[in-house]
Amino acid sequence: MKNQMKYLLLVPGIILLAVFLVMPLLSIFLPTIFTEAGVTLDSYIQFFQDPLNVRIFIRTLRVALITTIICVFLAVPAAYYMSRCKQSVKGILMTISIFPLLTNSVIRSFAWITILGRNGIINQILTSIGIVEEPIQMLYTEFAIVIGSVYLFLPLMLTTLAGVMDNIENDMMEAAESLGANRLVAFLKVILPLSLPGIIVGSTLVFTGTLSAYTTPQLLGGNSNTVMATFIYEKSMSLGDWEGTSVIAVIMIITTVIAMKVLNTIANRLDKRGGDNA
Amino acid sequence: MRKNRFLGVWTVLVFAFLLLPLVIVTITAFGEANVVQFPIQGFTFKWFGKALSSNSFMSACFYSLRLALVATLLALLVGIPGAYALARYSIKGKQLIKSFFLSPTIVPGTVLGFALFQVIVVQLQIPYDIGLLFGHFLIVLPYVIRIVGSSLEQFDFSIEEAAWTLGCGKIKTFFTIVLPNITSGISSAFLLAFINSFNNVPVSMFLIGPGTTTLPATLMGYLESGYDPTVPAFSVLMMLATIGIMFVVEKTLGIAALSK
Amino acid sequence: MAFFNLQDINVSYDKKNNILEGLNLEIEKGELVSLLGPSGCGKTTTLRVVAGFIEPTHGQFILDDTDMTKVPVHKRNFGLVFQSYALFPHLSVFDNVAFGLKLQKVSKEEIKKRVENILEVCDLKGFEKRFPKQLSGGQRQRVALARALVVEPKLLLLDEPLSNLDAKLRINMRVEIKRLQRKLGITTIFVTHDQEECFSISDKVAVMNGGVIEQYDTPENIYRTPKTEFVARFIGFENFIDLKRKDAHTYIASDGSEFVVDNGCDKEDPKGTIRPEDIQIVSSQDNVENKITGKVIVRTFLGKSYQYELDTPLGVIVVNGSSDHVLQAQDTVCVSLPKGKIVLV
Repeated sequence: MKNQMKYLLLVPGIILLAVFLVMPLLSIFLPTIFTEAGVTLDSYIQFFQDPLNVRIFIRTLRVALITTIICVFLAVPAAYYMSRCKQSVKGILMTISIFPLLTNSVIRSFAWITILGRNGIINQILTSIGIVEEPIQMLYTEFAIVIGSVYLFLPLMLTTLAGVMDNIENDMMEAAESLGANRLVAFLKVILPLSLPGIIVGSTLVFTGTLSAYTTPQLLGGNSNTVMATFIYEKSMSLGDWEGTSVIAVIMIITTVIAMKVLNTIANRLDKRGGDNA
Repeated sequence: MRKNRFLGVWTVLVFAFLLLPLVIVTITAFGEANVVQFPIQGFTFKWFGKALSSNSFMSACFYSLRLALVATLLALLVGIPGAYALARYSIKGKQLIKSFFLSPTIVPGTVLGFALFQVIVVQLQIPYDIGLLFGHFLIVLPYVIRIVGSSLEQFDFSIEEAAWTLGCGKIKTFFTIVLPNITSGISSAFLLAFINSFNNVPVSMFLIGPGTTTLPATLMGYLESGYDPTVPAFSVLMMLATIGIMFVVEKTLGIAALSK
Repeated sequence: MAFFNLQDINVSYDKKNNILEGLNLEIEKGELVSLLGPSGCGKTTTLRVVAGFIEPTHGQFILDDTDMTKVPVHKRNFGLVFQSYALFPHLSVFDNVAFGLKLQKVSKEEIKKRVENILEVCDLKGFEKRFPKQLSGGQRQRVALARALVVEPKLLLLDEPLSNLDAKLRINMRVEIKRLQRKLGITTIFVTHDQEECFSISDKVAVMNGGVIEQYDTPENIYRTPKTEFVARFIGFENFIDLKRKDAHTYIASDGSEFVVDNGCDKEDPKGTIRPEDIQIVSSQDNVENKITGKVIVRTFLGKSYQYELDTPLGVIVVNGSSDHVLQAQDTVCVSLPKGKIVLV
């Protein structure tokens, strides 16, 4: 094939990405730093001077962090169990984890409205057995966003981890046991460190996913629990503040990229361990 | 395999957590009352009838299907040659180009939606639905690049060379030798791209217009303004469609094709 | 009672088919015993019962007068070397070897001393900081061995530890294992399917088949006088001839010819068997014992000798002949089965 031909195959994609991704992103980014007064970071400084904005920013990070931690905590034992199951059982469990991934996030959030709502299932149970007299406010809280996000991203963590843990041989656990480790110790000292790279990949997906998720905080967070993703929509479509929205958009991209880089660095450092083959 | 009871119980609880909410949604679709409640009173199929005859649901559904189909086909048309070039040839800056093709994944959906809305719709005055289409194209392109790319990386290109030596032209070889060997990759890329486009909310929220609204956006609208059990009924229909797709995939490609 | 005692062990996964059936095995302190057999014979299962990964459905495992049957794996303190080595990829050589000692809460200085000591014994000095990925197959094998030995286990269990090494290294390593085992005086069970490996290293060999031990004896005795047809075939006997007993040392073949043997047996119709290399090619005039005449059907070159398949009235007989005098297909040839080499099974 002619030398140019191979580049020709890439051209359509590059052009479309340039027109519909790079150009729009640049055209919202550039005005935020090029102003009549020259190049300045003023709009970003202003953003972080408003305590309301900072609260939203911190809330977004907090929700993403807590969601990630809960997902790791729930998924690690389950994924390990899954990876040690018979092929047929593993297939069923895998199917059950994939199903929510393919189900619309609106439906998945909607489920929690029914569960957490004022007359929802949990409140009905709590009031009927007399733990509380008045229904508790669970929907439209940060707690609801966290639950909804865990629900949204747990399958992703599960499938990621199950793939990694499949590659850990049974011998590892047995070797640790034969050296005097009970199963818990063997799990903590051998299986967990061996799955760390997978845990980090999964955490990256969950953390950045929660960071940018829109549906769940919109439906479960209500008006007083704005996160960055819902803030963008509010600021632009309700308030028509294009420049303010652009600032939020840029901050979101930067936050996502930083989170990815940090987790990537950790993953690489862990992976370097032992280096290449001798 | 020696199993641990604690792990077993933990796993059951985790999977119950995954499934129960969807089971509850399903059950609420059968209640007779005009509000979504659990446990339900009475039993009826009427909400399904209402959902299927609802103009706004059905037209949004067809629009979403069309949108997902066109966006996915466009992504395949652009993505397969790209992935092929990246896997087949030594290209300067190969990693960079690949990252560029995958870069839409690191842009949060709302940011992408807003940027497209700002530039395409507001500044360039291009119709909403073009913006929506290319927004969805961007969302699904990385799936095509990643999945088709990985099946091309496993492809033994000496087969292609064998075809050339047998007198098969290069373009003909691509269609008769290469493509048939990566069909499973293309199929799973198609499915995942299609499903993710169909389910997308954040990009769509900025780019829907009158007559060009997507199904998830319509559902969102209902949920925010007050709704009856047609919402869970329609949800059940969507889940049934998903189950149908998963069943077909399991019988053909294997379920793992959907977890890439 | 012997130091190590497996009594009437049954293992079954589905309650119908036993993987091990009424297995008994006694080992004296300090002995190295091999479990030899084809895949699926139950040798690895036996080892896993001993290690504690499988709880037998019936029977007892007694070690040093203590019932170990229900003791969990991590409390047994046995050294186990896996076929895959199962080194922990995230730990350095030092940490791999120190893993068991740390769990025993041995002091830091003691751990350092003992790990360094065992690494020296295993010829791994200077590799402390390497990771398993950076080691060759033989080195990994020695790390696995060091890791198992450093805890001063009551038993050393080796599950086909040499099967992933190339032929030359395998011979070196088996000498090494034997040397270490002797030096430390540690009771050892060695699972293998390679008879040469097993004979060279073991004090005793248990030949297994279908979940039972067919023969348990010294390597020499097993090599010379297998007790069953399975054992005989497994260790290289061919030429199984149906015989009828006439008296203790005389047996009649199906064509009426008489065979004399040195070691008789009590069976009424045993099979006589002999290794191809023990059969002598003779001339038709020679007056020798147990003579058979046959025609060459197939000739195979083995390097230092030729192997011939002969068509005889007693069926096909396989014979090794020297390369000095080469027979052709269709040649008629006389062979003699020396009475001292025939084994009755």
